[in-house]
Amino acid sequence: MHKGIIISLALITGVGLFGIYAWHSPIEPINPQQNSAFTPQEIALGKTLASAGYCGTCHTAPDGQQYAGNYQMHTEFGTIYTSNITPDEKTGIGSWSLKAFERAMRSGVSRDGHHLLPAFPYEHFNKMSAEDIKAIYAYIMTSIPAVNQVKEENGIPFPLNIRWLQAGWKLLFADTSEFAKQSDKSEDWNRGAYLSEGLAHCGACHTPRNAVGAEDYDNMYAGAAIDGWYAPSLTASNPAPLPWRAEDFYEYLSTGNSTYHDSAGGPMAPVVHAGLSALSSDDLMAISLYFADKAGSGEQNIENNEALLSAINAQQALPDLRLDKGANLYAAACQSCHYSGQDMVKGRPLLALGSSLHLDEPTNLINVILDGFRADQGIHGVVMPAFRQAFTDEDIATIAAYLRQSAGEKAWPNLISKVGEVRRQPQFAH
Amino acid sequence: MATFNLNGKTVTADVESDTPLLWVIRDELGFTGTKFGCGIGTCGACTVHVGGRATRSCITPVVAVEGANITTIEGLSVDGDHPVQVAWQALQVPQCGYCQSGQIMQAASLLKDIPNPTDAEIDAVMSGNLCRCMTYVRIRQAIHDAAAATTQAEKENNNA
Amino acid sequence: MRKLGNTHTGATGVTRRGFLIGMTAAGVSFGFPRTWAAMDPATPNGAVLPDAAQVYEPSLWYSIDSAGKIKVNIIRAEMGQHVGTSIARILAEELEADWQDIEIIHVDSNEKWGLMVTGGSWSVSQSWSVYRQAGAAGKTALLEAAAKQWNVSPSKCQAIKGKIVYGNNTLSYGELVAKGLSRQFSEDELKALPLKANKDLSLVGHHVTSLDIVNKTNGNALFGIDAKIEGMVYACPILPPTRNGSSVASIDDSAAKSIKGYQQTLALDDPSETAPGWVMVIASSFYAAQKAAKKVKVTWQAGAAASVSEADFMAEGRKLIQDPKQGAILDTGSHDTDTAFTQAASSLEQEYLTHTVLHAQMEPLNALAFLNSDKIWEVHSGCQWQSLTLPSLAAALGVTEKDIIIRSYLLGGGFGRRLNGDYTVPAALASKALGGKPVKMVLMRPEDLQFDSPRSSSVQLLKMAFDQDKKVSAMEHHAAAGWPTKVMVPVFMPKGTNGESYDPFSISGADHWYSVGAQKVRAISNELANSSFRPGWLRSVGPGWTGWAVESFMDEAAHHVGADPLTFRLDHLIAEGRNAGVEPISIGGAARQAAVLKKAAAMIGWGQAQAPDTGLGIASTFGQERDMPTWVAVAVQVHVNKSNGLVTVQKLHVAVDAGIIVDPDGAEAQCQGAALWGLSMALYEGTEFVNGKIKDANFDTYTPLRLSQTPEVKVEFIPSTAAPAGLGEPATTPVAPAIANAIFNAVGVRLRSLPMTPNDVKAALAKA
Ligand code: FES
Ligand code: FES
Repeated sequence: MHKGIIISLALITGVGLFGIYAWHSPIEPINPQQNSAFTPQEIALGKTLASAGYCGTCHTAPDGQQYAGNYQMHTEFGTIYTSNITPDEKTGIGSWSLKAFERAMRSGVSRDGHHLLPAFPYEHFNKMSAEDIKAIYAYIMTSIPAVNQVKEENGIPFPLNIRWLQAGWKLLFADTSEFAKQSDKSEDWNRGAYLSEGLAHCGACHTPRNAVGAEDYDNMYAGAAIDGWYAPSLTASNPAPLPWRAEDFYEYLSTGNSTYHDSAGGPMAPVVHAGLSALSSDDLMAISLYFADKAGSGEQNIENNEALLSAINAQQALPDLRLDKGANLYAAACQSCHYSGQDMVKGRPLLALGSSLHLDEPTNLINVILDGFRADQGIHGVVMPAFRQAFTDEDIATIAAYLRQSAGEKAWPNLISKVGEVRRQPQFAH
Repeated sequence: MATFNLNGKTVTADVESDTPLLWVIRDELGFTGTKFGCGIGTCGACTVHVGGRATRSCITPVVAVEGANITTIEGLSVDGDHPVQVAWQALQVPQCGYCQSGQIMQAASLLKDIPNPTDAEIDAVMSGNLCRCMTYVRIRQAIHDAAAATTQAEKENNNA
Repeated sequence: MRKLGNTHTGATGVTRRGFLIGMTAAGVSFGFPRTWAAMDPATPNGAVLPDAAQVYEPSLWYSIDSAGKIKVNIIRAEMGQHVGTSIARILAEELEADWQDIEIIHVDSNEKWGLMVTGGSWSVSQSWSVYRQAGAAGKTALLEAAAKQWNVSPSKCQAIKGKIVYGNNTLSYGELVAKGLSRQFSEDELKALPLKANKDLSLVGHHVTSLDIVNKTNGNALFGIDAKIEGMVYACPILPPTRNGSSVASIDDSAAKSIKGYQQTLALDDPSETAPGWVMVIASSFYAAQKAAKKVKVTWQAGAAASVSEADFMAEGRKLIQDPKQGAILDTGSHDTDTAFTQAASSLEQEYLTHTVLHAQMEPLNALAFLNSDKIWEVHSGCQWQSLTLPSLAAALGVTEKDIIIRSYLLGGGFGRRLNGDYTVPAALASKALGGKPVKMVLMRPEDLQFDSPRSSSVQLLKMAFDQDKKVSAMEHHAAAGWPTKVMVPVFMPKGTNGESYDPFSISGADHWYSVGAQKVRAISNELANSSFRPGWLRSVGPGWTGWAVESFMDEAAHHVGADPLTFRLDHLIAEGRNAGVEPISIGGAARQAAVLKKAAAMIGWGQAQAPDTGLGIASTFGQERDMPTWVAVAVQVHVNKSNGLVTVQKLHVAVDAGIIVDPDGAEAQCQGAALWGLSMALYEGTEFVNGKIKDANFDTYTPLRLSQTPEVKVEFIPSTAAPAGLGEPATTPVAPAIANAIFNAVGVRLRSLPMTPNDVKAALAKA
């Protein structure tokens, strides 16, 4: 979910032309029966794309019906409920023509002409081809059961809730350019770029946002806070000790875990398991190549990487448990799973290699200690227990401090209160 | 309501989603081989395998294992003859026996990942499992024995 | 808990011996089918296998059926000693049974079994002659029966592996039982039966696979926590602020009502005063009870201990020791030490402390209680001392002991915690409040530790007088601590020479086997401790602190006179007079202690030069009491890190003489475990009372030894033909003093308080 929605009234009021820009006419409703002209291939493609674009992740409430909306997004601007995008005529998008759907996907304007909140990443979807958008439309219209469910009122306070003000934000901050191939890059790279920048909208989480909540395109993929987690940098500034090579991205995106890094938790878990898993391995590889290039990692053999060897060796010599309370808790509660031995074993994540110990914010680490990984997160079918009920803020801070230090980083400040904050924030619902 | 696979069978339990897996297995599904020791993940008595990996069930909410494959001590082997169990029996490792389900499940997962562990590796992986009877000396030895027996069996298989 | 009265156990004596009688008590069964109330630890669900058509019971202790199966009745609790196997093999040995035919049955609490207690490392020692006689009786009956069939003299027949053989004729035990057997033996007949010579023993002292092992590796072993009865509800207790004297002022359960499965909250009314101020949260599942318990708000009137902490116990102990009128003087021969001290050329005096230690057995306390259809209260639980628990239950429930039966399950650790059956009472009371409905109570770990009967903290003052030639002329040992026996079974307290009663468990060990001239041993009860919490028997009890003091002090004395600590000890272990020992168990006396010391010294290479900051230490004790000494010496190699105060034990070598070893493999296991307990208590465990409560709540801060902290352990036994002594506890006690002695040898500082923390070591080094 995307938290950027802020309006500077001063910027917008009084701009005469703005009214013209901001106003969109409604598009005539259609009768859903009119929609029969889709090929099975289109529908199948649409299914894949809808999945890889996480339509269901945002448009399905935790125990709700598929695509029926009302999934709660907690943003710093207030709570947003997502729309019903089932083909229900009254409460969903059943009366939307392809034209209306495409306009929404590309410019964030609803069929009736009102502006959608930018939590809907239309600036990314705008980079998609018309065929791909049509395929998603085809899939939803033909394959998703219509559900009559009225959208809950958003809890966005005035004046942020004024819909046409969204347009001003859009005008000022959204990159609404279309996707352009880069001729100096390979076909695969371009395919990866197309998927990542458009459909998969990776930047929506991983690109930092400016003061008004818009993506800061100068720092694309440089990492950003999101949903009480932190989406790490996908560029060379990623703090993990080992480079993210294409094969690491590929392993991560196809299994939810990279042996030499860490696992997909929090908001990233559904991206992998409910989303990208629908893509072909070629497409996943294309995305991986694209990001490996962004990360500047190139081809490297990391078997003898010094950082790897020192992380492996560091786990051998725990400080004496009598002197170090963090080590004591770690030995009691964590080490049996996280000790990986001389040879790295998938499923025994060596914590010192993961980005969460190296980020400036301990948020991700704390989140994982509190709530662990469910079977549908991280490595599929494997879980990490949740210490929320078991350990106090102080216990968790002690473990975190120990881990941070053992990973060779300088201490995080105010850890105990930070654990408290993370503990109290709304739990990520997917 | 929770549904998962337990020792090869699909099971369903009508429990609140935050119920720790341990109590679901023990009280709802009647598999009492998995034990409760601390409830906070520091003793290992409740260790089961989830997706083949040793997992502390006392702090794993059942919602986390929806659809997962779970193995308890009762399902580790059909006849109680997993190499780790055989080694445990031969060396008579258990004293009171209370911690041993957890120890065995942890040891089985250790040997899967690290087939011939050193003492240091055994210490690292097994130190989360408390044994108040302090059977540690034999636990260490039994793990070495199980490792050796497995290696031996593999050799024989390869030769056959 | 109500104190155990004189009337209950048939224990006539008030001495320690009182514990030890009762094995032969006979009574009438009051009609519970054995299959229902007893448990076989080798079957998948604990169920006792059905008997074949005919059954012969040569004695109370076992039966043989017509299929040849032999069921051995075990009144001891199984808590890791494989006690059933040990006892059954004593029987099978004399019975000449085929080991394959043996089943072990852990029986219920029927009074016909006499005193039921598992502790003090007594089980094997006390069963030795009883089960041997019982086995010999059965063999005699079978021989007679077979001989009669063949019309020959029984002396011509032989019993071999479950069969009676005469020439080419054989009849199996089962066949003989099928023909009908009813021979019974009088006490006198039993005593007259010939027993096998030591050299002929084929099961005793040899490897036998323990019958409970397989179930302990496949999840089938049934512990108290696994008990289940149709229709039971779950109870999660909320504990009051103090162990004694708390009462509930108000309960607000409104917030708990939203928890699915929550039923109600009970304030227990406990006439037995076992669990005053307890509140029980009842729900349809254990997790619901736990969750609801977190939401129920209780206010209490706290007991007096709410303002008492560990330091107060220590201060009280010191004060008591300073008052010569306090305490009981043990009979140690000559205890007039005054003269020697007045005339002494030099003397040595040191104080030793130990802090509170928790049992922290792995299986948290639990019990299932209900009124069955025969209107008998059933209590399903692991229990070390049924005979002590029954009176408390009876008082709580307001019924007689005959209206209650305890079904024994395996114990997920005893270590003395389950000698005190207090935890069964709240479950029974909750069931009573619910009209006899089955209530299963499980304590979460924080409640288990809070409700522990811990090993009391202790203060000890030791003195030694030396003459001109630096020869020891007298020794005094004053020990003040909380006394479990006084709090729970005062009837078992013997009297000292000054007429004062004392808790033998809390002073045993101070009356050592060293010849030190005049010897005064004074046992003092710390009443502040006794009233503030319930002191418990914890693996070896008093020797855990007396051994610490004696063996640290012997080392200090050796250094005082400039002698080698090993030589100094050996010089004072003279098997003469009261230190000569008596048949059948303590025979050999001090000489046997000297032998284990020499053995341990040889094992570790005593006298060899050590690396810097590394030292050897040695210590020796006898467990559990002078009547039944198991001689143990421990030698350790220890490294001290001077900068951070860390003490690392690199080698832990144990030499043991426990007489005849019935189960060598189990004996080794018990000694390994006990020695590591000793190490754990010396360096890793230890807690304290803070305002009436135990400071630690779980294994995040209460930290028993873990595998990575386990050093090389070696155990060796001295071959012996003396009657078996106990093995469960003795090896715990010499470890801590051996480590302290090694620390002194490594870096020259003396630690006198347990546990020995890195801070203690650093502080001692700073002072040195
Ligand atoms: S009970 Fe789960 S780790 Fe202790
Ligand atoms: S065998 Fe008793 S706790 Fe491990």
